[in-house]
Amino acid sequence: MLFWVIAAILTLGASLAVLLPLAGGAKGASSSSDHDLEVYRDQLSELDRDAARGLIQPAEATEARAEIARRILRLDNADTAGKTSAKQASMTARLVATVAVLAVPLVSWGLYSQIGSPDLPSQPLSERLAKNPTDSSVDELVARAEAHLAANPADGRGWEVLAPVYLRMQRFSDAVAAYRNAIRLDGDSAARQAGLGEAIAGAAGGIVSADAQDAFEAALKLDPANAKANFYLAMALAQEGRNKEAVTAWQAMLGTLPPDSPWRGAVEQALAKSGNPEVASGAAAKGPDAGPDAGDVDAASSLSQQDREAMINTMVAGLDEKLRQNPRDPEGWMRLVRSYVVLGKADQARDALGRAIAVFGAGSDEAKKFTAFAASLGLTATE
Amino acid sequence: MVETGHFALVLAFALSLVQMTVPLFGSRLNNQRLMAVGGPVAVTGFALTALSFAALASAYANSDFSVASVWENSHSLQPMIYKITGTWGNHEGSMLLWVLILTFFGALVAAFGSNLPATLRANVLAVQGSIGAAFFLFILATSNPFIRLNPAPIEGRDLNPVLQDLGLAIHPPLLYLGYVGFSICFSFSVAALIEGRIDASWARWVRPWTLVAWMFLTGGIAMGSYWAYYELGWGGFWFWDPVENASFMPWLAGTALLHSAIVMEKRSALKIWTLLLAILTFSLSLLGTFLVRSGVLTSVHAFATDPTRGVFILCILTLFIGGSLALFALRASRLTAGGLFHPISREGALVLNNLFLTTATATVLVGTLYPLALEALTGDKISVGAPFFDLTFGPLMLPLLAIVPFGPLLAWKRGDVFAASQRLMAAFAVALAAMLVAGLFIDGASVFAALGIGLAVWLVAGALTDLAVKSGVGSVAPAVMFRRFAGLPRSVFGTALAHLGLGLTLLGIVATLSFGTEKILSMRAGETVELSGHTLRFVGLYPAQGPNYSEDRGRFELIGADGNAAGEITSAKRFFPVRQMTTTESGIRTLWFSQLYLSLGDENKDGSVVVRLWWKPLVTLIWGGGLVMMAGAAMSLMDRRLRVGAPSRRRKQASAVAPATLP
Repeated sequence: MLFWVIAAILTLGASLAVLLPLAGGAKGASSSSDHDLEVYRDQLSELDRDAARGLIQPAEATEARAEIARRILRLDNADTAGKTSAKQASMTARLVATVAVLAVPLVSWGLYSQIGSPDLPSQPLSERLAKNPTDSSVDELVARAEAHLAANPADGRGWEVLAPVYLRMQRFSDAVAAYRNAIRLDGDSAARQAGLGEAIAGAAGGIVSADAQDAFEAALKLDPANAKANFYLAMALAQEGRNKEAVTAWQAMLGTLPPDSPWRGAVEQALAKSGNPEVASGAAAKGPDAGPDAGDVDAASSLSQQDREAMINTMVAGLDEKLRQNPRDPEGWMRLVRSYVVLGKADQARDALGRAIAVFGAGSDEAKKFTAFAASLGLTATE
Repeated sequence: MVETGHFALVLAFALSLVQMTVPLFGSRLNNQRLMAVGGPVAVTGFALTALSFAALASAYANSDFSVASVWENSHSLQPMIYKITGTWGNHEGSMLLWVLILTFFGALVAAFGSNLPATLRANVLAVQGSIGAAFFLFILATSNPFIRLNPAPIEGRDLNPVLQDLGLAIHPPLLYLGYVGFSICFSFSVAALIEGRIDASWARWVRPWTLVAWMFLTGGIAMGSYWAYYELGWGGFWFWDPVENASFMPWLAGTALLHSAIVMEKRSALKIWTLLLAILTFSLSLLGTFLVRSGVLTSVHAFATDPTRGVFILCILTLFIGGSLALFALRASRLTAGGLFHPISREGALVLNNLFLTTATATVLVGTLYPLALEALTGDKISVGAPFFDLTFGPLMLPLLAIVPFGPLLAWKRGDVFAASQRLMAAFAVALAAMLVAGLFIDGASVFAALGIGLAVWLVAGALTDLAVKSGVGSVAPAVMFRRFAGLPRSVFGTALAHLGLGLTLLGIVATLSFGTEKILSMRAGETVELSGHTLRFVGLYPAQGPNYSEDRGRFELIGADGNAAGEITSAKRFFPVRQMTTTESGIRTLWFSQLYLSLGDENKDGSVVVRLWWKPLVTLIWGGGLVMMAGAAMSLMDRRLRVGAPSRRRKQASAVAPATLP
């Protein structure tokens, strides 16, 4: 709405710039020869200055003065050429004026309606990142997490949450870095190592390279039953052309996997494909796609509900942590309380509210603001 | 805000259509009201364009990736200064900057043009409006910076790393101020052709505009050259790159225009020629703007290439260059030619200057366009570079530079070469001495170097002689001399400074090319190298992290004569992950006017690093000379004779009583 008001004001201003001179009185204009005379006069005075300063010789000065005088005399002979008949001219002038005044709004609004996007608001990055996390798109959530991790690179949990998201978005090299960071900061775990292997394989276009195998083997050391690691190691065998061994490994997996494991389908698929020797290498190139989430591969734009929640949770936890360190941030506290309410964690919301009030003092303005804010969310302080 | 800017741009286009037509009708119908529309419309059009530009700049500053151009050319991690300069670091934004400056100059004519004859003013604004309309249409149709993305990406693709430099903040705006400044001269010329007469105030108005445009263009070219010198890491300052030539051609033609406009202003001679030069200069500016963008050239400036815009560009070029030249052919015969003069006179010298400069322009034009034409016709790719220009442009410039000091010393109408030569004896002696010193003591092998040094000193000494002669050194008492010196018209200082600057630039070029030394070697940490009497120790390679890049910084220590460290030079290789590009940050240390220049090459397997080292004697004079030339133009602009009075009633009455005496 505001945009249309501004656009209308701008159009009005532009139209006035055309309209006002047209409506104004016709000034008696000085003729061109008046202007010329002015210039020649100026030249004469300049000549006098130069002569006085000794820059030109007196004889030259006299000659130049005569030349300028001749130009002045010539002025009277020149006259402006014939005019069109006055009546016809004023008709044409009126027509031109009307068209011009109409053209400004018509051209601008007509053209803008074709090429503009009036309904699209500006989206400065800082504003987008300050929005409530539940309103954010996945890209925005990732960007926020990245910003958080850029400021706190030692947050191992943050890396751990972000890594599978990268994997899902097919940002494999970022996923590799995130898993490595998580392992470096929070230590080894089977899930992290298996994820790292998957990321490395993904970055290599699905080839389970030696690096990826190392990661999967590390995962198996920590958890011999890790399905992902077992699956990919078998895949590596298949890619090396050791089909029989791969099939044996997959069959062994089928024997040990719990009946509701999501990997069951993937293994069966792989087995089916490996029955046909030609497909073995082709299927291998699509390694990660054959995984349990094959249907979700285009998840670059849509995360599963679970991942989304996990991500929001870390972010909220990050905010909580930040407020423990820098508590004098009323905006932050309000965001935290709201986040907890949105996540359905009323207890934690109440706890946060209590802590916020404690920071600023029970009688302070901020505390009142917090209480009112919490009430608006349907939350009451217990104290 | 973004859409407000978009709307303002469209509105500015609508106004430019009005500005293009209504004042023109007014001048044809002799209707004051219609003619009066030009001024307010030009000012409003500028205000709207400025609003639009501000909106785009704020979208860049706030990383609003819902704007496609921001997404393509910015990144949230860039330092704020590069976010803002990124506004014009791409095709769309730079075109918006172009029209912003165009409308700015139009608004200046409208605001300060009250002393112009009404019809001339109306026609000038109309022509200016037509250029604006063509460019607005070009922007809106093919390169709209306000195209939106929905949903907006969360991160941008980063600005081309080569452009992430302070040079981007200065070079394009200066260059565009120069290019576009000539549009005013063009508009005045076309206006005079439309009207069929040249007012006496014409030359007085065109000359300051030429000076302004020339000043900025000089600065823009010098800045661009220095930027290429330190950013590209090759240590070269001029590559005869087609894009450089594109900015150099309007400069040469503009220099010719500057000089012929003096003749026209002082003597009402060379009118038609000046008109033509003004048209040609702006045509070359247009060619310069578009050659870069049409897709026919690929170079460092390739950020703008897009062949689909080519047709549009070709239409604009044909319309303005072809149209104005056709108008010239039709109308030139109706214009009255001006005063007469002897071949040997100030006018004659300026004509000679014009001949040389326009021929040189033509040479550069041929060297730039010939490869393109050849490729289009036969498919052969050839590259015309320094050898061609050394053989053609060089010989043209030498005689021109040799006669530069004579010009200002010759009298108008008929001059005396012998008297001028006598006055220049001292300068000639100094130049000869410099030549001998250069030839005998520095480098006996190179005759050209000695000649070049002599020529440069000749220019500098000649410029000083001009000032000395005009303030009467040697013929009057010192007190009188100082008074005369202080009282000299500013334009005399302007001339002297500009010629002096030219000499300095030449001195820098000759010294760097002739006496510069170069070394390429691989170094390990701790090793030292000596170049032209300077000893450098390689301290080592250190990784560092920038806001949006990581770099390997090579630190070098300059060892003084006493064996102690006398300063540090760092050169770095920067890696920008978003664009996966590497840039070289050269390390430069300025010692007086000379520079020690080094740039890091690749790292070898054994841990040593390839280092390229240059000693560039007097190299800063190349750009320092440009600054002096700019100062000369600024000085000349302050000359009082460029202030043209408007006829007033009071003045007319007074003149009836006492003619021809003015304060």
